[in-house]
Amino acid sequence: MRVLPLGDSVIDELRAIVGSEYVLIDKPSRYNRTRVPAPFPVHRWSDYVPDVVVLPGTAEEVSEILKLANRFKIPIVPRAGGTGLADGAVPLRKGILVDIKRMNKILEIDLEDRAVTVQPGINMLKLNEELKKYGVFYPDDPASYPCSIVAGRIGTSGFSLISSRYGHTRDLVMSMQVVLPTGEIIEVGDGGGRKLRKSSTGFQLKHLFMGHQGTLGICTEATLELVPRPEAEFAAFFGYRDFEAAYKSTGAMTKSGLATLAAVVLFDEKKIQYLRRDDEAYIPQPKTVNSVIATALYGVEDEVRAAGKRLLRIAKDTGGKYLGDEVSQGDWASRHDRYATPLHGRLLNGQVVPMCWHCEDSAINYSVIPKVKKEWHAIAERYIKKYEIFDDWGCFFYTNAAYKPWGDYLAEIDIGIWEQRLNEETWRAWVECKREVTKVALKYGGSITACHGSTREGDAELVPVEMKGGFEVMKRIKLALDPNNIMNPGKNMLDKAYED
Amino acid sequence: MAGNDGLQRAFVKKWRDNAYGCFTSGHKFCREVCPVMQVTRNENHTPTAFHANIVAMEQGAMSIEEVARDYVNCTMCGACELRCPNTLFTGDFYRHRTQTVKVVKAMRALAVQSGIEQPNWKRWVEATVDKKSEPVLDIPINQDNVAAWAKGLDLPIGGDTVLFCDCEAAFYRTSVPRATAMLLKKAGVKFGLMREQWCCGGPAAEMGYTDHARGFAEHNLADWRAVGVKRIITLDPHDYITFTEDYPEYFGEDFDIEVVHITELVAELVRNKKLKLKKPIKRVATYHDPCRLNKRKGIFESPREILRSIPGLTFKDVDHVTQWSYCSGAGGGFAVERPHIAEEISRRRLAKAAELEVDTLVSACVWSERPLSVRGKELKPKVEVRDLMELVAESAGLDYGGVRR
Repeated sequence: MRVLPLGDSVIDELRAIVGSEYVLIDKPSRYNRTRVPAPFPVHRWSDYVPDVVVLPGTAEEVSEILKLANRFKIPIVPRAGGTGLADGAVPLRKGILVDIKRMNKILEIDLEDRAVTVQPGINMLKLNEELKKYGVFYPDDPASYPCSIVAGRIGTSGFSLISSRYGHTRDLVMSMQVVLPTGEIIEVGDGGGRKLRKSSTGFQLKHLFMGHQGTLGICTEATLELVPRPEAEFAAFFGYRDFEAAYKSTGAMTKSGLATLAAVVLFDEKKIQYLRRDDEAYIPQPKTVNSVIATALYGVEDEVRAAGKRLLRIAKDTGGKYLGDEVSQGDWASRHDRYATPLHGRLLNGQVVPMCWHCEDSAINYSVIPKVKKEWHAIAERYIKKYEIFDDWGCFFYTNAAYKPWGDYLAEIDIGIWEQRLNEETWRAWVECKREVTKVALKYGGSITACHGSTREGDAELVPVEMKGGFEVMKRIKLALDPNNIMNPGKNMLDKAYED
Repeated sequence: MAGNDGLQRAFVKKWRDNAYGCFTSGHKFCREVCPVMQVTRNENHTPTAFHANIVAMEQGAMSIEEVARDYVNCTMCGACELRCPNTLFTGDFYRHRTQTVKVVKAMRALAVQSGIEQPNWKRWVEATVDKKSEPVLDIPINQDNVAAWAKGLDLPIGGDTVLFCDCEAAFYRTSVPRATAMLLKKAGVKFGLMREQWCCGGPAAEMGYTDHARGFAEHNLADWRAVGVKRIITLDPHDYITFTEDYPEYFGEDFDIEVVHITELVAELVRNKKLKLKKPIKRVATYHDPCRLNKRKGIFESPREILRSIPGLTFKDVDHVTQWSYCSGAGGGFAVERPHIAEEISRRRLAKAAELEVDTLVSACVWSERPLSVRGKELKPKVEVRDLMELVAESAGLDYGGVRR
């Protein structure tokens, strides 16, 4: 696709659509909307800077922007929080960056049918501050809970830490308003009802517009689930002598049938070693603790009390030692920001350097966790030795299926990268490392990504491999909805739809 | 621009590591607690952008000319530094606190040194230099009336301890210094006033005019030295920041004067029964944590201790961590350059108070009280904004008078 340079006339038209103050062409506005928290080729920053930033306030404005972009065939990149760990919001082909953070109003709180309708630029923490007085909450709880934004959660089909009890974003969004690449504004849900949770009418379009990483349109309104605020929370952390014991215990907990079980998170030995690098990021544990499980139960008090007793018994019977209230309550409460900090970066020789954190996530089944983990660490070790700018921060395994914690997991290996030392050679090495890690997941019947998206270099090339025949369908859908490939071009290998 | 290049290089060298701590983390947890960002929703106005710009400057991709304007959008409340995971969870171990307020201040200073000035700040600082006090109102401000608030209180000049009266308190809300002085006297605290008090210099420093700020500091220190001052009592949190952070930076170890903030002192006086609060205050109140006390200095207990000791007062507290995301909008010179955004910040703060169904919002920062009062009067029912010391004096049975313009 040929990218036409943006002329003054395009800028003038954008100003007419959203108002002059919401069209930003200065450098800081554009540079600061180029990257996301994932490792970033700093040396190539200027390659990804958008030509112009617009801050629309309504769906109609978004629609007009997309129609304009189609006329001139200008790439559009939607940006919500910019907190993603893939490259969904990075403008690979520059163009018009549509930042929807101004659209953050709560439009309707319906306590009768338990639905809240919002503009999607709102953050979940802020939404829940408002919902608190009504005794309800919106339980979408990613690690970025204090800063990520509903539209980005929809765009990536995000993972919620408490999904075993409450579901993920896709389970919690009932319907949404989407501006299609060609500018039409439509409503999609499970069928046609705005507040319906189940329907068999037509195609299940809600899922098509969930996790497309901005390649199929821009969400401008969403109707979300309202859940009773839990009366009781029981968080418990358990220590194990080795990973094998913790892994087996995880299986026993998740297969127990406890309905209030919201999350089980398994920390491997490397993760514990990483957390022992200082005495503040993690409350010190005796040397006999080499693997940890974090769990949490939510519900009404009678249920949680009984389930807590059962959970403690399962842990004890499988070799777990309760780590105490301080760790359990404190670490669970600070789960969003406790476990990744650039200051923990270490070179092979022990030198402390500030490192960027890359969380490489895959979806895999329970049975293959030990094999995947072993192969992932071996890959990381090779790259650490060869390049001396990487660091292995260990693995987490989170229960991944909504309401059904027993079968599959979000597996992540966290790799520290000394971003200041990235150059073309080391960046290529990093992409190759990612690709190797991803291939392991695919080899064992897993998926490239459980929640971040498959848009990054190193992942994207494998999308056709994972999707197989489904990739042909993806291409046809993309071509049909976005004839000019304006929506976030270069992502998910979808450019292939336009090659013939 | 050759001269600027050197300044810019020195600036980048000083702040790059701090900037990378944020850039490589990229969590952005600071964003939704930032009072400015909460209103504008513009990513340029976030601490992450303030730091990323420095990385871009290091690469030669941006210059002070291009970024200066963005750094106006900060009230210097300090919430972002507290909410930073690097500060929260590893700060003690690595002796690290993400510095953002200092970065904003340094960037504003670099802008002024590079000849980039904001029109309202320029006028404000020029007027302050001219009158020696800030132009807080369109009333004649000069050295003849800087201590007019103390009329009839019979306060001495000099002594071991001096009460430093902030410009806003001296000219706009004289009820605050009058209440403060009277309750200190009643509790038997010996103190005097300066011979010739000038502005503390804090606002000029926050607006980037470092040389002017230092000029005020040198005058004030000389005045204190001349009368043998050992201890300063501040009644305004902004002054407290200036004297505990800026002055030691200017004068190093030579600055050996103790600085005590009024809420800490009064809490102690009440605790030790030197000050008895007997008269009931029939109000339903909540407390506004001034950003500079709560977020910058960790002072949030003493004001609550005082409020809980006032008889008759129904105190509906909102904890100090929740208040990390609250602000009056009055700090860091922000309201002088961006009055409309500052107004919206104040309005939202009052809306939070109104949700608690209170009739009074108690603050302990005189600079916050004017904008908050305006928004409180707009509410139905109204919420009155009072200074903590006014309530304490009232409960101590003192008729302090003064004005609240």
